[in-house]
Amino acid sequence: MVARPALRRAIPSTLRSTSSKLLQPVSRSFSTTLQTQNQNKPNNSVPEYAIPDPARPTHFGFETVTEAEKRERVAGVFTSVAESYDRMNDLMSFGWHRVWKDHFVSSLNPGFSPLTSSSDPRAPQHILDIAGGTGDIAFRMLHTAHILNGNPDVRVTISDINPAMLTVGKQRSASLPASQQAALSFLEANAEDLTQTKPLGANQVGYSPTTGVPDESVDLYTVAFGIRNFSNIPAALREAYRVLKPGGVFACLEFSKADKHPLFNSIYKQWSFSAIPLIGQLVAGDRDSYQYLVESIERFPSQEDFRDMIVDAGFVVGGRGYEDLTGGVAAIHKGMKPRRK
Amino acid sequence: MRPSPLPLRRAARQILSSSSPSAIRATAPAVPTARRSLNTSSTQTGSDCTCGNCIRRPQIQKLSKQQQQQRQQQQQVQKQQRSSYHSYDHPSSPASFTPVEESILSAAYQHVPSHGFTSSALAAGARDAGYLDISPTILPEGAFTLIRYHMVKQREGLAARARELFGGEGHVGARPGFSEREIMGRVEALMWERLLGNKEVIGRWQEALAIMAQPSYVPPSLKELAMLSDEILFLAGDSSVDPSWYTKRASLSTIYAAAELFMTNDHSPEFMDTRAFLNRRLREVNEVGGVFRNLREWVGFTATAGVNVLRSKGVRI
Amino acid sequence: MLRPATRPALAATRQVRQCAARFLSSPAAPDTSSSNINDPSTTPKTNPPPPPPNSKSSNTASKGKKPLTAEQRAFLSSALRVNQAGELAATLIYTGQTPPLVNRDPSLRPLMKHMYDQEAAHLRTFNDLIYRHRVRPTAMYPIWSVMASGLGWGTAMLGKEAAMACTEAVETEIGGHYNAQIRKLLEMVSEWEAEGYEVGAEFRDLINTLRRIRDEELEHLDHAVEHDAQKAEPHWLLTGVIRAGCRGAIWVSERV
Repeated sequence: MVARPALRRAIPSTLRSTSSKLLQPVSRSFSTTLQTQNQNKPNNSVPEYAIPDPARPTHFGFETVTEAEKRERVAGVFTSVAESYDRMNDLMSFGWHRVWKDHFVSSLNPGFSPLTSSSDPRAPQHILDIAGGTGDIAFRMLHTAHILNGNPDVRVTISDINPAMLTVGKQRSASLPASQQAALSFLEANAEDLTQTKPLGANQVGYSPTTGVPDESVDLYTVAFGIRNFSNIPAALREAYRVLKPGGVFACLEFSKADKHPLFNSIYKQWSFSAIPLIGQLVAGDRDSYQYLVESIERFPSQEDFRDMIVDAGFVVGGRGYEDLTGGVAAIHKGMKPRRK
Repeated sequence: MRPSPLPLRRAARQILSSSSPSAIRATAPAVPTARRSLNTSSTQTGSDCTCGNCIRRPQIQKLSKQQQQQRQQQQQVQKQQRSSYHSYDHPSSPASFTPVEESILSAAYQHVPSHGFTSSALAAGARDAGYLDISPTILPEGAFTLIRYHMVKQREGLAARARELFGGEGHVGARPGFSEREIMGRVEALMWERLLGNKEVIGRWQEALAIMAQPSYVPPSLKELAMLSDEILFLAGDSSVDPSWYTKRASLSTIYAAAELFMTNDHSPEFMDTRAFLNRRLREVNEVGGVFRNLREWVGFTATAGVNVLRSKGVRI
Repeated sequence: MLRPATRPALAATRQVRQCAARFLSSPAAPDTSSSNINDPSTTPKTNPPPPPPNSKSSNTASKGKKPLTAEQRAFLSSALRVNQAGELAATLIYTGQTPPLVNRDPSLRPLMKHMYDQEAAHLRTFNDLIYRHRVRPTAMYPIWSVMASGLGWGTAMLGKEAAMACTEAVETEIGGHYNAQIRKLLEMVSEWEAEGYEVGAEFRDLINTLRRIRDEELEHLDHAVEHDAQKAEPHWLLTGVIRAGCRGAIWVSERV
């Protein structure tokens, strides 16, 4: 964490050098969806809307585009803002996203085991951090699990559709202790179809897709500030359900609706719709990307609607199923994959 | 060369305006502006949207039976948070916890004597119930959920204890005409039953009280205390429907909280000291209540007498 | 001078009566249980007996009874709470009015006693319902007590016409209020029936009790108008203020 400013300074140069090479793998990862959607296991319970369809309309901010197009354009946004991604989050949350992320991770308490005696083996855990390119969540997970809970058997896989973001995370992870670096792996994958993945930096010429993330292999699936960019959220939720072990937890941190506090909400809306695109233009010279950010937050379902989507994907939730942060500017949703009957 | 997002967006807009309708079924505003869209939160779940990221009404109707059950459980648990009209013909489900919560919590509860009201007990319970160490993190209030589980289960068990103590007569009919003294005795018996419910976990209850005193858990703890007082008074057959409804519940809550705290330090056999403490507090409040009652009666009597005297003097009031 | 002023109040009174009449004769209303609304013997006077636990077990073919939703419970709580507060206020108004009125005109004694007895019975009914369904009484109880006693005594001191105008205003509001409640309950019941659920005796009894009480309140309204309520001076001001006060008190009692 201490070394982060220095890291951040180092990132732009690496990005600039890689950006021209990135085009090829990005476009290829799009096409895998087309090839694999017919290979999905026949499952009658999956509704039609939860099967990825590149031609189906979805939202890109306030526009309606096809799913394939959204994927491409989101990739565009994040490739262009990867280096200033932290700044975007800072602007939208007044810097609070660090506090939210800390709270998110501590509420999940990865690596915790009930056994008190030190001689007992701690249960190993596999955490899959989706859309976790820059590693914010993954590094916190490792810190909590390895250091606070003393459980070195916790592995974290960072997955992102966007290699530019993954590269940023890979760079940052260099400052972690060696044991934590060893527990990290980077995966380039589309969250709506985790059956086809490839490790970051895999040889692109003769590369053949791996088997992907197997069924019931993950203890904890996290996605922080990522799910609203997905082209097909129900498909991603069903994919999360597939890869989680029974009893495994889906946890999502995302900007949400602050409409329980009308006054605060109206100020917040004014801020996000008027100020942030302007700031984006002035600071990053990229108004459109910031406009997309604001619109995508507005488009994202309310806490209750998203909770219902999680339940519809087969998860069970505790209590009302979500926790509001800072009056609902962000919210944590959690769901557990139930045990087989 | 990688196209920047700006041309990408422009290109997308052109595609949108010119492409075949089969590719894009829903037409979109070509140029969304920030101002226009300030108040669109209500329209985003509109029925005309066909993308998978929106909750659509037809989808909701097509939910499987299991999903509907889950939603209903969800709603029932939320409903339970408020205490209001209690129907006998159309009872709301008494479920305070969903089945999954119940299975984890009931297993974790067995570990409370050894692990306390902690995440350890929850994780151990989750293992026993066939879940993972990580599973209890879906409980929104962590270890406090386990404390609440204890309180809710004890409160819900009181009705059965009341039937054992007072015989089979339920209090669901007309208002029972118990005397103040009878009600007091029944209140004392029920409170003692409830205090004995803490016996198994008494060694851990001070920790629990400390957790309950954390700012975010004070409101649910007080609510649970209020619901306990309400339950005890109802089961005891107290039928006051005037302002004493409030004062009785308030004083009972105070007494119960004090007695519970007293009990955590009580090492006498069978908690006899706690019982004596409880009796003293109840007697005191009864005496204070009696004074107020007498005062009210005296004021009422004097006022009526005064009015009557004036009327007898020919004052037309 | 007097006539134009009284017209709006009369119109309002008429409106309530028409509303009531519509309910009595409405074929659309799923009114299966109440054979005769005006016959007190068919409806429980007070203390509706608890339904036997296994009653209607023969109707296993239907879907059974639907649990109340949170909104329905909230509505029923606030309805019973406000009704208890209203009947408490009504008894206290009559208690306050009776001595000065009877002093002036002893012939009013039987009427006042009749109206008071009915209100006292209503209060007992709602006290029982509030206890039975574990609804919290209004926190404004002491304040309503003082205000209602003062209103009764004060209007009686202004004279018989003012006292009757007070009754007219209060009962107009209350009649409309009961009608709204009955309408909502009937909607609930017909919704259940449309969905194929059973409707418990609890709700049929409640609707019948509310109807009976509503009719008795409207009967008081008739008595008040018969006894020169419209001749009160200034009638529009008196009834306007009292009716606004009633609405305010109802609004508050529904909430606290």
